[in-house]
Parts: sequence; C-alpha cells; structure tokens
Amino acid sequence: MSEMWINMGPQHPMTHGLWNLRVKIDGEQVLDVDPEMGYLHRGIEKISEDRHYNEVITLMDRCCYVAGLSWEHLYVLAAEQALHVQPPERAEYIRVMSDEFQRIGSHVMWYAAFVQDIGLMTPFLYGMRDRDLVLDLFQSYTGARMTYEYMRVGGVRNDLPPGFIGEARKVCDWLIDRFVEYDQLCLNSDIFHKRCDGLGVMNARACIDHGITGPMLRSAGVRRDLRKDRPYSAYDRLEFDVAHAEAGDVTARYLVRMEEMRQSIRIIRQTLDWLEHHPGPVLAQELPRWLGAPYAPVGREGYLLKRNYPKGLGFSAIEEPHGEALAYVVNEGSEHPYRVKFRSPVFANVSAARQYLVGYRIADIPPIMGSVDVCVGEVDR
Amino acid sequence: MAAEEWAQELARHLGDRMISLTPFARTLGRVKFRPEAAREIFRAVHDDLGFDHLSMVGGIDWVDRREVIYTLWSDRRVAYLFLSADLVGEAPHIETASAVWPGANWHERETWELVGIQFDHHPDLRHLLMPDGYAFNPLLRSFKLHEPEELEVKTRHV
Repeated sequence: MSEMWINMGPQHPMTHGLWNLRVKIDGEQVLDVDPEMGYLHRGIEKISEDRHYNEVITLMDRCCYVAGLSWEHLYVLAAEQALHVQPPERAEYIRVMSDEFQRIGSHVMWYAAFVQDIGLMTPFLYGMRDRDLVLDLFQSYTGARMTYEYMRVGGVRNDLPPGFIGEARKVCDWLIDRFVEYDQLCLNSDIFHKRCDGLGVMNARACIDHGITGPMLRSAGVRRDLRKDRPYSAYDRLEFDVAHAEAGDVTARYLVRMEEMRQSIRIIRQTLDWLEHHPGPVLAQELPRWLGAPYAPVGREGYLLKRNYPKGLGFSAIEEPHGEALAYVVNEGSEHPYRVKFRSPVFANVSAARQYLVGYRIADIPPIMGSVDVCVGEVDR
Repeated sequence: MAAEEWAQELARHLGDRMISLTPFARTLGRVKFRPEAAREIFRAVHDDLGFDHLSMVGGIDWVDRREVIYTLWSDRRVAYLFLSADLVGEAPHIETASAVWPGANWHERETWELVGIQFDHHPDLRHLLMPDGYAFNPLLRSFKLHEPEELEVKTRHV
C-alpha cells in the first residue's frame, strides 16, 4: 500500500483553466478525488448588485470566456422578466443565431483542447483554425472576438452589418464539411478509441442525482434539452433534433457534441433565412429612460434614478454549450439589481468528479476531464 | 395541468409543512415551506412529486431574514419548481438537501460561505470559492463593496 494525494493543478495541462484536482492514488489507481475551485472567483454576483442592469452584461462575457454570448443571453432573459421589458422578434432571432454560433465556437474549442489531451496534435490546429471563422463573424457584428457586450436588456445593441448573412452562410457551408473531417481524424484513429472507449462512464440515474446536465447527460441516454423542453427566444419556431447517445462514456460525449454542432448549423441556417426577410428594430422602442442612458447625470445623485418602477423577479434557463445555465434577477425597485444568482452547468458537472473518476487510472484523467469540458470562469464566477 | 389540480396535489403531499404557493410565469410556482420540516419536504418533493433533479440552491439576504431557494426540475412534469424557506435569527440554519439530492453538496457549500446559511448534517461543509478560514459572507447586504464617499467622487466627474 502506498496511498498518497497528488495535485493536478492549478498549473497543469489537464485542467484547462485555473483549478486544482487533488487525486488520491495507489500506484496508478485513482482512489479518491477532490476538486478545489475558487482560483478564479471574482464575485460576479456581488459586483452585479452594485451595477446598473445593462452594466452587468459586461461581467457575463467574463463569466464564461468561450461562451460569452450565451451567458449574456441568460442574463438579459432574466433581467427582461424582472424589469417587464419585451424585446422585438428580430432581436430574438439574432440572439438565437449568436447562441448557436457560440455553441459551435465553444464546442470547436473543446474539440481542439480535448484531442490534444489524448495526444492528437493535428486536430488541435484544425479546430483553432475553424473557430477563428466564427470569431470573425462575431467581430463583424459585435466588434469583439471574446468580450462582446452585445446583448441588451430589451434587445441587442445593433443590427447585423450589410453582407453578414452571405458571409455567415459561407462559414456554415465550410464548417459542416469540416465536421466530417473531424470525425474521420478521431473515429478512425486507434489511439482515440483506446484512450476514450468505456472511460468515465456515468449512467442516467447517477447523472440526474448529481445534477449533471448538457452533453454529459444526453450522452447517457436522457433526451433533455431546454431548447425543446422549455423553449426560450425563438427556439419554438425552429426545427432541430436533440443529439443523444447511450454509452455515457467519453466517446459518447464526443459524439453528442459533434451532432450538436451539426444541429446548430441547421438552426443557424433557419435563423439566417428568417433574418434575411424580416427587417425591423432590434431594440425595444419603449425602454425605461434610465435603462437607455445609465450615465446621464440628473440632479445631485449623478444617476437617473428610477422612481416607482414596479418590482419584479426574473428567472431564465437556457441550454448553454456546457449544459443548463439558470439565473434569477431580483428587482426591488432600485437602479441596481437586488440580487443576481447564476447556476453554472460546469459547476455541477465538476462537483460529481468522484463519480466518474474513481476506479480509473491516472492516465485516464485527462481524457475524462477533457470530455467534461471545464470552463473555470463560470464555475467560480 | 390546471393550476387548482396542481395546488391540490401539492397540498395532499406536503400538508401543513407548506406555507404558501405563489404562481410564477412558466414554472410550477414557488412553494414556501417551514424550515423545521425541511427533511420531510425534500423527501416528499423528490419521491412523491418526482422532482429528481436539483438545479441550484441559492440564498437571498432580505436583511431581516434570509431566504434559501431551491430550484428543482422534473423530467416527468417537464417544469421547474422553486422551494423556499425563510430563516430568521442570528445563525440561520436548515437541514441539508444533499441526503436527497447528492448534487446539492457544492451548491450548499457555496450558499453557506457566501450567504452565511448553515446546512445541518452536511457531509462536507468546507469553503469552496473563498480561501480557507475566510470570515465574511460576501453576499450579505452588510458587506459593502465601496464606501459612500467613493460614489460621490465618481459622480462629480460624470
């Protein structure tokens, strides 16, 4: 017997972010694990209580640095309900399109990092190359590649630039062919199968008990997808299938994410068709004045204080690239939210690490944790 | 399902441990329950009502009391339900939900350190996001991010 605890992290190629996985080992065998989080805790929920409603959107990009637009969408949906604001339909479609491009961007980033973890270098470069095309599209209409600050309470900041739809269609056509190549690179590789098949198995019961959501849950055979089960924005008007697999292991999670990207392309094409033929406003016309101009000075307060604005509670749940993200925003009638709370899907997925790591070997940890797709920004918030 | 039917079903399973049911848009509502009956409520909601997925646990500091909110999802009903309890006193505490939903473990650790709510019989109540030994609860209203003077300086330069 030579049991001992070792640290994988906070600086370790496996972690993909700043966190520490403490592993109890006996030889090569993993006996126990204990993830340590908090290295990236910035107190986003607390800072939000000190900001105007639209200023919180800036923090959402920092929440998950590979899926900023999805988190903005989560927050604005909750804030709109709390503030009794209705966005125009065109904004809803632009948000859905952004969400799905973001899903592809996040999944391609995941693919690039994951396959590198299991020793395949070429797909990493392919993944990064294709993600850049998605980022170029984001840059063309939000002005930024990572921290977009694009969505607003009541709509989105600006409309799509001229020629965007054509460019987006070209990117879709390019990507859908590349996904075939991704599959060929991985699924035809013996290394891939030897390092992924039958690892990190979670069955449906264990997933639900531990609050696991997203591709991890769907890879265990549960067809739960908030875009179908509790449609938000324009998802009830779009056609797509819920990607799922049965095995619940690392390979199954890979297959689910790949299928999700294909479905995302399908959704994006429908939204592009709609956006092409339905011009209109992208920001609600009837916005409370304090929401439109948070810094206009009035009187001694310096801010436009809202008086007698109705209180409200907003709750939103979206299918983020990593799983189900939830938020509530409490509006107590002041110019700042009284309380903002976010639920990160990765938070729950990592908290169950003991369930899918114990019993395997040290060398299995990188592929298993890679298949979880950890984004520390949203775990720590 | 009609709203009255749902209210009756809730009343049948939860009895007088439930204080009130407040409707909320696109969910099955917000159930307020007596904190001392937490263990029975969790069991009934999980086993009898079929809410087997705990999405999150959060706390709100209302200054005079602290509210703990559980967000639950049911695959059978395809809907969310909120459970909430008001905790009063200097040291608010409630029974842990992690015996019923193992996934509550980390959510309760986070709520304990940020909102200062004690979860009795929790298997592993340690700091999660904050460093060990951190003595404050940042999400309380009494924890200020800046002094009022700073705000005035900022205002003058707007």
